[in-house]
Amino acid sequence: MLEARNIAKSYASAEGPAPVLRDVSLTLEQGEFLAIVGRSGSGKSTLLNILSTLLAPDAGQVLYRGRDITRLPEAELSALRRRDFAVVFQMHHLLPYLTALENVLLPFMAGLAPAPRSAVARARECLDRVGLAGKHHRLPGRLSGGEQQRVAIARALVKQSAILFADEPTGSLDPGTGREIVGLLQDLNAEGLAVVMVTHDLGYASCAHRMLRMEHGAPACAA
Amino acid sequence: MNLLTIPLRCARRKWPRTALLTLVFALGATSMVALWHVSRVVGDSLERKLTAFGANILVSPRAETLAVSYGGVNLGNLLYEVRHLDEAATLSAIRSIDLSDRLSAVAPKLVGAVAVGQVQVPVVGVRFDQEQIIKKYWRITGLFPTRENEVVLGGAVAAKLGLGYGASLDLGGEPVSVAGVLAPTGGDDDTVILADLGLAQRLFRLPGQVNFVEVSALCSGCPIEDIVAQIGGRLPGLEVKALRSVVEGRMASVHFVQHLTLAVALVILVSACAVVGFSMLSAVNERKAEIGLLRSLGYSRAGIFAIFCCEALLLGAVAGAAGSLAGFAVGRHVVLLLDAAGEVLPAFNLLEALVVSLGMALVAALAAAYPAAKAARIEPSAALVAL
Repeated sequence: MLEARNIAKSYASAEGPAPVLRDVSLTLEQGEFLAIVGRSGSGKSTLLNILSTLLAPDAGQVLYRGRDITRLPEAELSALRRRDFAVVFQMHHLLPYLTALENVLLPFMAGLAPAPRSAVARARECLDRVGLAGKHHRLPGRLSGGEQQRVAIARALVKQSAILFADEPTGSLDPGTGREIVGLLQDLNAEGLAVVMVTHDLGYASCAHRMLRMEHGAPACAA
Repeated sequence: MNLLTIPLRCARRKWPRTALLTLVFALGATSMVALWHVSRVVGDSLERKLTAFGANILVSPRAETLAVSYGGVNLGNLLYEVRHLDEAATLSAIRSIDLSDRLSAVAPKLVGAVAVGQVQVPVVGVRFDQEQIIKKYWRITGLFPTRENEVVLGGAVAAKLGLGYGASLDLGGEPVSVAGVLAPTGGDDDTVILADLGLAQRLFRLPGQVNFVEVSALCSGCPIEDIVAQIGGRLPGLEVKALRSVVEGRMASVHFVQHLTLAVALVILVSACAVVGFSMLSAVNERKAEIGLLRSLGYSRAGIFAIFCCEALLLGAVAGAAGSLAGFAVGRHVVLLLDAAGEVLPAFNLLEALVVSLGMALVAALAAAYPAAKAARIEPSAALVAL
């Protein structure tokens, strides 16, 4: 479903371009759960950003359902992110002035047309599904860290995407809540959602079907 | 819930910032509206005061001239077929124009020469009530005539005839008394005897006739050409012309006041826009993560631009509405304080208030355009990685 071919990426630094990814290739099958692990600075988050189209590679291609998405026009990229890809970040990134329900509905609020009733109903279902029944109208500031991450996952679920990209989703949570979040991702994957999760915790990574270990910007080995 | 929910909720959540920005922009709108009302009333009032320095339209019969030269000597232009105007018909026609409310004085005149003893002296018949409106600069020793057999002497004539305030004289067979003597004006009035128009018409045996009519019109509300055209339309056989130097000199003063207030208002508006622009710029930097998140959710660049512009647009509309009301109240108060209104106080106009609100909304959106464009250019990964 998703394939990365010979991806390379460098960031500018005072000493010149600093390579972050070197010739990285990988594939993700329909319904697969892939964990990308590695130390800080190994390039795993950069790889996730490139796979989810949030960052353009310097070289190489990302193919989604056989189509190169690395050089898509802006409008098509936005449509792809809106329709097929969902991203969960380590820091939840909820809008603090919107309620949990409104945060979940954000993907449907991109235009002047009101979010459809079916989307509102689905948003409520998603919040219930991640264990936030009765907390739909709470502002993020009145939710715990784990609950905020659940809202972020509900937001990823609401649009029925094909792939969920999770960048250290347990990074800011205590171990117990982290396990719950990974369990939730496993449940979603079991229902057919492809998941790519970046983590530095091998325990959480072991829940995935496959693990890609990154070292110095390149895959070390696949397990 | 749609795109507008985001700026609305953000404005509500960050209400101190929203309130401060709205207040700054409302103050700008208030200043502009107040200055607009004050400049309109003060401009009108100033022009009314300036009418005291002379008429700006001359209505006279069409006169034919003949250039005369003989033997290489130019004898100048000779006026022939001198015609007179019917006073009542001419004044009635002038007063009946559509823009008659812009006429501050209509002053008819009849000019001739009369013997005073052995001396021929020019006599100008005038209506003193109208004349005093357009010549408020006159300074008089004595009083203006209240009866037909009283006259006012120009300063030079009084000296030449050796007459002063209270003296009596025989004016072409009519016994008259000197009601007052004009202080020197440096103009034609120094060398003439000013008599009541009725007396002059009797002296020159031209009952109900005048030579010309001077009109003082207020031009701040409409161009002088419109008034001239309307008078010309009512008096097709006559020559009606604007005294350009008077009009332009007078309007230059009025326009100076109006331009000055406009410039001050613009400076205030630009300052308010700068505050909105800088505040939006800082909001864009503060909300980078939010922008990155929305972009990662598939919001287009246009969508991000619209969020920030809508926020400014809403702020501008609210500030514009508040500024319209406050500006009207402040302007009215200032006009009353300056005692400049005369009979015309600024009146509240709902349409004007709506136009101001809409205008301020657009100006605020324009002020936010650069920060909004900057926000729209932010790449999602850059916004998220930066945090």
